[in-house]
Amino acid sequence: MLTQFLTDIWLVYRSVFEFALIGSALGLSIYITLRTGLLSLASAGFMSIGAYVGALLTIHLHTPLLVSVLAGALAAGVIGLLLGLPVLRLSGVYLAIATIGFGEVVRVFMLNIDNLAGRTITGGALGLNNIPRKTETWHLVLFVGLLIYLFVRIDRSRTGRAFDAIRQDHHVAASMGINVVQYRNLAFVLSALIAGAAGVFSAHLTYFVSPNEYGFNGAVRILTFAILGGYLIWLGPIVGAFILTFLPELLRFLGPYRPIVNGVVLILAIIYLPRGLVDPTFWRKVWRQRGKPPSPPPLETSSEAAP
Amino acid sequence: MFWQQLVNALWLGSVYALFALGYTLVFGVLDILNLAHGAVFMWGAFFGLLAVTKLNMPIWAALLVAMLGAGILGIVLDRVAFRPLRKRNAPQLAAIISSIGASTILVSLAQGAFGAQVSRFPFDTLPAQVFTAGPVRVTLVQVIVFAVSLVLMAALLLFMRRSRSGKAMRAVAYSGRISSLLGIDVDRIIVTTFFVSSALAGASGVFLGLAFSAISPFMGAPIELKGLAVIILGGLGNVPGAILAGFLLAATEVFGVAYVSSDFRDAIAFTVLILVLLIRPSGILGTAVERRA
Amino acid sequence: MKPGRFALLFLVVLSLLVVACAPPATPAPAAQPPVQEPAAEPTAEAAAEPAAASGALSGEIVVGCAHALSGPIAIYGEPIHNGILLAAQQINDQKLLGDATLAIVCEDTAGDKAQAINAFQKLINQDKVVAILGPTLSNSAFAADPVAQEAGIPVLGSSNTAAGITDMGDYVFRDSLPESDVIPNTILVTKDKLGYSKVAVMYGNDDQFTQSGYDVFAEALAGSGTEVVATETFAKGDTDFSAQLTKIAALEPEALIVSALAEEAANIMIQARQLGLDVPIIGGNGFNSPKLAEIAGPAAEGAISGAAWNIGNPAPENQAFVDAYRAAYGGDPDQFAAQAYTATWLMATAIKNAGSADPAAIRDALAAITDFPSPLGTYSFDANRNPVHTPVVLIVKDGKFQVFE
Repeated sequence: MLTQFLTDIWLVYRSVFEFALIGSALGLSIYITLRTGLLSLASAGFMSIGAYVGALLTIHLHTPLLVSVLAGALAAGVIGLLLGLPVLRLSGVYLAIATIGFGEVVRVFMLNIDNLAGRTITGGALGLNNIPRKTETWHLVLFVGLLIYLFVRIDRSRTGRAFDAIRQDHHVAASMGINVVQYRNLAFVLSALIAGAAGVFSAHLTYFVSPNEYGFNGAVRILTFAILGGYLIWLGPIVGAFILTFLPELLRFLGPYRPIVNGVVLILAIIYLPRGLVDPTFWRKVWRQRGKPPSPPPLETSSEAAP
Repeated sequence: MFWQQLVNALWLGSVYALFALGYTLVFGVLDILNLAHGAVFMWGAFFGLLAVTKLNMPIWAALLVAMLGAGILGIVLDRVAFRPLRKRNAPQLAAIISSIGASTILVSLAQGAFGAQVSRFPFDTLPAQVFTAGPVRVTLVQVIVFAVSLVLMAALLLFMRRSRSGKAMRAVAYSGRISSLLGIDVDRIIVTTFFVSSALAGASGVFLGLAFSAISPFMGAPIELKGLAVIILGGLGNVPGAILAGFLLAATEVFGVAYVSSDFRDAIAFTVLILVLLIRPSGILGTAVERRA
Repeated sequence: MKPGRFALLFLVVLSLLVVACAPPATPAPAAQPPVQEPAAEPTAEAAAEPAAASGALSGEIVVGCAHALSGPIAIYGEPIHNGILLAAQQINDQKLLGDATLAIVCEDTAGDKAQAINAFQKLINQDKVVAILGPTLSNSAFAADPVAQEAGIPVLGSSNTAAGITDMGDYVFRDSLPESDVIPNTILVTKDKLGYSKVAVMYGNDDQFTQSGYDVFAEALAGSGTEVVATETFAKGDTDFSAQLTKIAALEPEALIVSALAEEAANIMIQARQLGLDVPIIGGNGFNSPKLAEIAGPAAEGAISGAAWNIGNPAPENQAFVDAYRAAYGGDPDQFAAQAYTATWLMATAIKNAGSADPAAIRDALAAITDFPSPLGTYSFDANRNPVHTPVVLIVKDGKFQVFE
């Protein structure tokens, strides 16, 4: 009885879980750029490149999934390197809009190389369908697990400390002899590699890809994973991706009011936890206050610091 | 054909500039990426539409209703989504989340109230007059929108340069902390900013509704991206910059279609945008002062 | 008051407000005055067919519906949803399924392929539906239909027109006539009547529906020896088409072929007329919506639409549908609503003919449906589970679609 119940739950939410894992990877791809103080929205574009390269290899050359994933990630990484060299000189929202522009250029490009000399390339707006489903749940678990391992290693390394120094203040970091440009390029290329790989996995999960999935909305959605979840440690984007992917599914009973409640939850979450849901300082405070009478909500007290 | 395309570009440019005016104001003063501006713009269009269809108002009165309604909506938006974040010293990126949340709510509310279908202003709202001058044809709506855009732009520039509130706004844009030391009521200025910015969004909602007959809960999304490009290209919070960038983006799009290919319209526009930013990393009229995160 | 608390309070009030001013656009028809006399509904003839033991049906038979009810695609999802609910109510009122009732469980896909997959999984595994109506977009269908195929649940799309939809498997059906069945005939008829020899083409190149339509138009035009002087594109959600139309006007085509959905098409018509481009404008299924004339007004006069459904079709099934739709929702239905309504009737008839709630039996019965009288005309599925019925060519006259002759 219980096993039947759990099996049903698993069957209903397996796909949601898989999308949440893909979202986690994408969130991490934004997280790594945010860690170096870069506001990049290029992940959706990189994901698109990865998805198409991987899917085309699988369809035309029948490559194994691993080969497609590596090729897709590599393609996105190379584009990331070429794009990063000029645009990473921009900062803040100027970089954000330049990377959004990159995403739009990729989208239009994918729409227009629908076929060359009679052979279907991207299929334009019709997209590519009949992509074999090769991504298994455990592939994604493993993929995100590997990323976590990578980020834990980075945290403990010179590179991680350099990233943090750059995010805190890149002028100071530069004056301490950290090669800011090089580290930022590294972060940007890593971000592209991760998003490209995630794109290949997702293409082999949904049987279908089309250019519009990776436009402006896609880019903003990925950014919200990292901001809502928190971009201070790697756990943040993963939590953000899980919540933002599961929330609309769990709110299905609300029918047409679903987006409204979704929006309300977003606002409340960010107001009470402005540094993201995974905010180590906040949770440490909560942990210390456990057992004590909860009369003054800890959030309110933290806001008193405002001038 | 060239002259007609030039007119098309000027016309589209005024549309972009009109939308970007209010957008850049909030951006400049508060330094936040407000992704709910498109939703306020959409509500402005609906306020105007309701005033005309349900209250039988003439269009100029409906315009005022829309500006007032959108302005109040903007203040509410600030109270709900942005002020609590300011009070908590939240990082700037947090505002993106609450503005997305607010936008989702506003769009869904509109869909609940009006349905997803597209509506338009009644046909007799403005006479469907077409003027012909040599090879060029323009409609009355286009002339009016263009003229009113110019007037609003001029009014906003004057307001920013001459009025007390406008000067205070610029001070707050420069630094909220220093402004409050100077005795400026920063909170009041922010409320004013939201009101003015949202009222402008409401006006542009009505004008776009008149011009394009495509009023729907989702009308804010396509222009939001273009508006974002315009205000950043123009330089953060720089009103003349946004106007200039609006015309530049429109010209790139129109002449891209005319002389290259409509297939690549958006790609051409965004490539130009990236190139301009590489030459002017703080936007066309942006100051080179680096803002600290 | 603390800002956080203010926000919370406000949001609660706001949410209550929404619930209070519930969407007037999607009421369950149950709340509406009873539908007009069911009259000459498909029942009679259809029942005559396999005449199997339909007494075996009882209880509640749950059919899923997965459509875009929020987000921009809801513009198509809303009329579809209306059509499905209307049909379901009629089916239950007429006791088509005998002692059993048809229950529709609707899930929102938001026009997103991932959510479409999730919605399918939920409908199949949690609600245990016997069949699914949907999804709205071909994009979503390519992603979600394989889920139904694998689970052995028949899925019937009423708005998927892309090539290859039913190739996904033998449980995948559609009742939406693809553009390839509509457009060649439209070009043939209009070329004959209007005698054009050079045309310009405009289409949305980022949308599956309009891109498919363009592909077929291009082929049909080439096949009929028509010269295409210009091909211009736009993007979904665009409102300004003046640059493309100016370019086209300079080339002086004799007709303008447009592959667009009604909302974009209406603005193209308005702007074409403003720029002095006064040639006939011809389109496909996308034009077939009352919104076209409502938005474009006089600019829509003379617009020609090759379509799968004619609102003015005098057949009793169609008149009953149009009347009931008007009564329930206070406006004219569009083609999406007609096709969704028909799809629901087809599915219910298949359940009845199967005499069982077994998905495999329903699939077989659905595939076997022939000569079913419907608002779309006399309807059959072909061997590939695609629709077979006669398309029409319509023209806007005095703000209404009429048969183009």
